[in-house]
Amino acid sequence: MSAGRALLGKTPTACRLCSRGQVPHAWRRSYSTRPQEIYDVVCVGGGPAGLSLLTALRSNPITSGLRVALVEAQDLAKTAAFSLPPTQFSNRCSSLTPASAQFLNSIGAWSHIQRSRVQEYQEMQVWDGVTGARIEFDWQGGSASKNIAYMIENLNLTSGLLQRLKELGGVDTFDNSKVESIDYGKETEDVDLSEWPVVQLSGGQSLAARLLVGADGVNSPVRTFAGIKTTGWDYERHGVVATLQLEGDGWGGEYTKIAYQRFLPTGPVAMLPLPGNYASMVWSTTPEKAAILKKLPAKDFLAMVNAAFRLSPTDLAYLHSLEQGQADEFAWRMQHVSTNPEMLPQTVVGVQEGTVASFPLRLRHADTYTVDRIALVGDAAHAVHPLAGQGLNQGQGDVQSLANTIAYAVSHGQDLGTQMWLESYNSDRYAANHVLMGVCDKLHKIYGTDSGLIVPLRSLGLRAVNALGPLKNFFMEQASGNGAKLL
Amino acid sequence: MAPISRSAATQLRAIPKRILPRTQLAIPRQALPILRPAHVVLPSRCHSTSNPNPSFSSVNPEEVSHFAELASEWWDPHGSSRLLHLMNPLRHDFINACLDSQPEPRNETLSYLDIGCGGGIFAESAARLRSTRSVLAIDPTPSVLAVAKAHARKDPGLSRKLEYRNSSIEQLEVPKEGEGYDIVSVFEVIEHIDQPGAFLEKVQPFVKPGGWLVMSTIARTWMSWLTTNLIAEDILKIVPKGTHDWNKYLDEDELRRFFMDKGWNSPRVMGVMYIPGLGWKQVRGSEQVGNYFFAVRRDFP
Repeated sequence: MSAGRALLGKTPTACRLCSRGQVPHAWRRSYSTRPQEIYDVVCVGGGPAGLSLLTALRSNPITSGLRVALVEAQDLAKTAAFSLPPTQFSNRCSSLTPASAQFLNSIGAWSHIQRSRVQEYQEMQVWDGVTGARIEFDWQGGSASKNIAYMIENLNLTSGLLQRLKELGGVDTFDNSKVESIDYGKETEDVDLSEWPVVQLSGGQSLAARLLVGADGVNSPVRTFAGIKTTGWDYERHGVVATLQLEGDGWGGEYTKIAYQRFLPTGPVAMLPLPGNYASMVWSTTPEKAAILKKLPAKDFLAMVNAAFRLSPTDLAYLHSLEQGQADEFAWRMQHVSTNPEMLPQTVVGVQEGTVASFPLRLRHADTYTVDRIALVGDAAHAVHPLAGQGLNQGQGDVQSLANTIAYAVSHGQDLGTQMWLESYNSDRYAANHVLMGVCDKLHKIYGTDSGLIVPLRSLGLRAVNALGPLKNFFMEQASGNGAKLL
Repeated sequence: MAPISRSAATQLRAIPKRILPRTQLAIPRQALPILRPAHVVLPSRCHSTSNPNPSFSSVNPEEVSHFAELASEWWDPHGSSRLLHLMNPLRHDFINACLDSQPEPRNETLSYLDIGCGGGIFAESAARLRSTRSVLAIDPTPSVLAVAKAHARKDPGLSRKLEYRNSSIEQLEVPKEGEGYDIVSVFEVIEHIDQPGAFLEKVQPFVKPGGWLVMSTIARTWMSWLTTNLIAEDILKIVPKGTHDWNKYLDEDELRRFFMDKGWNSPRVMGVMYIPGLGWKQVRGSEQVGNYFFAVRRDFP
């Protein structure tokens, strides 16, 4: 067989395989001249969701005998070798809930993550940019070490997962490989694969899958092949991201880090702590304003970011209308604005070169996550507004559920790819994701307005929640992924 | 449909009872209602072939033709066998509970004989388990076995371990003394056999000493008549008409008494119920009411 790159450990020998897995090592008797490889699980997409799934399957003794393959368009060796000096951070960061971190730990991946590049935070400050109504989240009851979430670079996570997979071995990896086509297999004298998806790769390989997993992102080719439709809409907003340097390591110091989010009529802007005096910013705004932000020289960009947390929406809109000179304009306006600096993120003093980027925000939900011999996880199943930092965590929740579903099927001798034994994954995750997506969508809409009717109501709501400790704890438990299940 | 046949438990019970003839209700076929009976009769397999000597055959030719008609639906996950598919994992849970109850450690690999394998729901799943060395699955109904074989071809992992044979237990070669299968399974079968006592005696030498005979059936109660015959077959029609003959149902205590002093030990029982929304669940004591698993371990010589 070709492929089966050495990256994730050596390809197991046929001899060892003949006693493991639900399928024999290889089935070369198809009519086609090219040998067709048969797998229990073929995962398309080597992002956090796909890699976590394979890690979960390989690390569980019940499923470790399955024959699994990974297909990824990019060069995974580069991802695995992710390394940056401690003064640089990638601009694609995610907020991992403690529940996700716990899952990653249970599959043995957490210890492979570069921990010094991960920043946990213990407080959240959220306020309404129009009225200033504010809610502060911190854990009541004294447990100072309780984390709301962990800020992590996506590359740090994927690289850690790749290293764990290398340690586990046994994944046939086809990276730098595009999916050329997906079709159903053929019926031959010996075997009837007419219900098994077969993935044709750009390198010429042909992989038949008992279960084909689409972890291949928002525009999932696997989802298209399965004929699963999605519902959703574009927000007509872009998320502008950047890695920033602050004047200090935060008002709480090194050990109590705070995440900030301000709701502006154009969308929320968030400042999320990274180690030291670094922070990751996500600013959701209109595509036009996002384009302007990306073009600004560094000092004017920094002024805009500082203004986003400090000036009124009206002043901010004015700054956004300028071609240049935001820095001077901001300095002048700040003389006339009274703020309590400790209620705001520390002043941004630098932006890491090349980290200002943007991506369109959208909501998408697949109509189902499973059909016979196909399952979708992560962004292929759902794309969510990033304001609650839940996208990656939803994907990890999917993976945990799917891995459990597969393990149940394997331990009871069921065919893990069949719809009947995938049903519990779909019912477990669909409703849970739907509720969360609905909440994030409604938050976006409630705060994406300066309508006279809604603004006082939402501020009243925010202030009321802030005054009620138990309710706030409920929201925090939900945000950290530890809350009682809503569904 | 099967006539009111000789009571299934003739060999086990002193007096055959024929108190409940099938009720024919002229209710039109309708969509599956949400309501499900508390326990459900599964369209199941019947065992054995047309033996030239009828007094020694465990087969009932009418049962054979009935299951031949059901063959096409066997693997339809939303067809009449759905409940049987959903019950399948519990069979493995029950077998594991039996093996765990042994004082000795279980054998590293196990051999299975599945009698009355039907479309192969259990046989395929047993063959997929890593701990399984081999599965021989037999059934007397040729069309049903053809379904089983065709379905097994859809999984390239099965051919190494799974063998189907169109055979009755009478036609199988009896293993030598001290040999046999680690697990002999008779799932949803004995309620379709005319002389279960004679049948079970024939099965005995196929179980290796220290191995398990595992079966499942339905208790013969008013409740099971109501749910499995009247409601499931006649009213809701979720189970094809003629699948079950209530008179052939066996009670757990009848089985227990039957296996006493016959070279078996450690009888185990697990009552299960289908609970809408939750699926099949083990319910303590429900073996007195409806579907249950029963197992005995063969004595060492």
